[in-house]
Amino acid sequence: MAQPTRISCLSSDAQLALHLQLRLQSKGFQVTTISSIEGVLGAFYSDPPDLLIVDLHSDRDACASIIITLRNDSFFSAIPIIGLIVQTECDTVEWEHCPLDDFIHLPLRFDELFSRISLALSRIKRIFDNNPLSRLPGNTSIQKAIEEAMATDVTVCYVDIDNFKPYNDVYGFSHGDEVIRMLSRIIFNAVRDSGGGFCGHIGGDDFVFILPSERAEAVCQTIIDFFDRIVLDMFDEDTKTRGYYTGTNRKGEQERIPLLSLSIAVVPMRSSKIRHSAKVAEMAAELKKLAKESVGSCYVTDHRKA
Amino acid sequence: MGNKRSELKKIIMDTKTLPTLPGVVNKLNSLTENDKASVQEMARIVSSDQVLSARILRLANSPSYGFYRVSTISNAMILLGVNVVKSLALSSSIFEIMEKNSLGLWEHSLGVGVAANLIARKLNLPECEEISTAALLHDIGKVIISLKCSEAEQLIRAAIHDHGMYMRDAEREIIDTDHAEVGGWLSKSWFLPDKLSEPITFHHDVAQSGNHRMKTAVVHIADVLVKASGFGDSGDCYVPQIQQVAWDVLKFNEQLMAEIIDELEDKLVEVKNFSLELQGSNGSAD
Repeated sequence: MAQPTRISCLSSDAQLALHLQLRLQSKGFQVTTISSIEGVLGAFYSDPPDLLIVDLHSDRDACASIIITLRNDSFFSAIPIIGLIVQTECDTVEWEHCPLDDFIHLPLRFDELFSRISLALSRIKRIFDNNPLSRLPGNTSIQKAIEEAMATDVTVCYVDIDNFKPYNDVYGFSHGDEVIRMLSRIIFNAVRDSGGGFCGHIGGDDFVFILPSERAEAVCQTIIDFFDRIVLDMFDEDTKTRGYYTGTNRKGEQERIPLLSLSIAVVPMRSSKIRHSAKVAEMAAELKKLAKESVGSCYVTDHRKA
Repeated sequence: MGNKRSELKKIIMDTKTLPTLPGVVNKLNSLTENDKASVQEMARIVSSDQVLSARILRLANSPSYGFYRVSTISNAMILLGVNVVKSLALSSSIFEIMEKNSLGLWEHSLGVGVAANLIARKLNLPECEEISTAALLHDIGKVIISLKCSEAEQLIRAAIHDHGMYMRDAEREIIDTDHAEVGGWLSKSWFLPDKLSEPITFHHDVAQSGNHRMKTAVVHIADVLVKASGFGDSGDCYVPQIQQVAWDVLKFNEQLMAEIIDELEDKLVEVKNFSLELQGSNGSAD
């Protein structure tokens, strides 16, 4: 049996919340209601719902800040949020600062609410083209981000995993996917905790992140440190101690394959003579070659002056 | 009798969160800055608290993230991110009635975590951090029992007091299961990896442990040592014997034991100070 769609309702109006819960449950949704603003993020993170309904009428500012917090984490930003609002308040809302997917007027008409919920859920399936595995933005967004970065004082970093193919062959795709999810989280958190930037997933084991140049090398080092530590969980004790496993290389020969590591190509946009965005990837490919020559994880920076 | 067991099991399967001590939550609330020092302090507090640690590991291993083997708090923090861990920690509910017992159990759990880390390092075992996490969580079943079966817990405490029983035997008599099994159920339903759930389930019966027998043995010995030292309060004051199988699997010897006991004493003083520091922030929330 398919899992029921899970909806969280945030409202400090107990009667409204109860009413919502009963009506949604009658439609087969699994519903949790959250009444206190303080608890909402924790409840949300510990058990992310498929859709969130927020009552903007009862506490607009707090709701808006929660919505923004959720939108800022790529992992949760895709969850549809529907706001409840009194008709007369509509033109007082600055939607820029309250990034909902949809709203509906109070007092509620439940048939309308149900339709909007179905629409929101089907829209998310249709337009959500972020990488389904990592949930990071894909190539269209990456392209745009790189173009915006041209000739500014930011750095574009290309990450990939060394020896990822033989790992997949030996340990299977589900393990490989887990490594990809881990790496995407490590990159995303490292960039965010350093002060923010852009993260994208090109595909497979290739990632990009863009951030102000003065933070680039420190973030590369953090990503490498964290990856080297976390990736150990993907191997058993013996393999960890030995430092390699046996697999088949491209020529079909048995070979010792080292544990997973990272290569990062670091391309500062200001200092290099990049006129076209395609050139960035080209330079990154050259730098990656250098990075792959060394054993273990490392990053290589382009130091050529413009 | 099977009824009580399955009833309790169902309650545990539905449990998604557990309360922790007010001091812990107040201390976390006082760390408002997002700088490096406060992130480290947050990690220290989270990894000293069995309930917070379990909740964070539950999230990291939950199907929504798709990681299946996160067994330490530091790895969970890397994968979830500081903001997520912080929000989760700050949304903790607290024990409304602060009992002496909860503080005693908190100290006991942290003490066993510290002792297990010491033993694992002494023996040069791999995965020391995983072992200390398992040790920190080993009595999580007691938290659930006291919370979800408070009437039965009264009877258990009375039985310990009146008949001089081990807590585990009293639990078996009254609720037809024990805190180790209950902790095992919780760790399964909270997606915790085997390296944590096995030591939790078998810390009183090392021979039952399979893949992670060494870890289970360390937790077992750490538990006995901390009880013997009189530190904290695990529910009864009787010190069980160290099981032969634990001794054997770790190739323990008496000299090693003497060294460990010696070093443990100093460590437990540090733990006590940390505990007092946290209790000090009990009333300072306003």
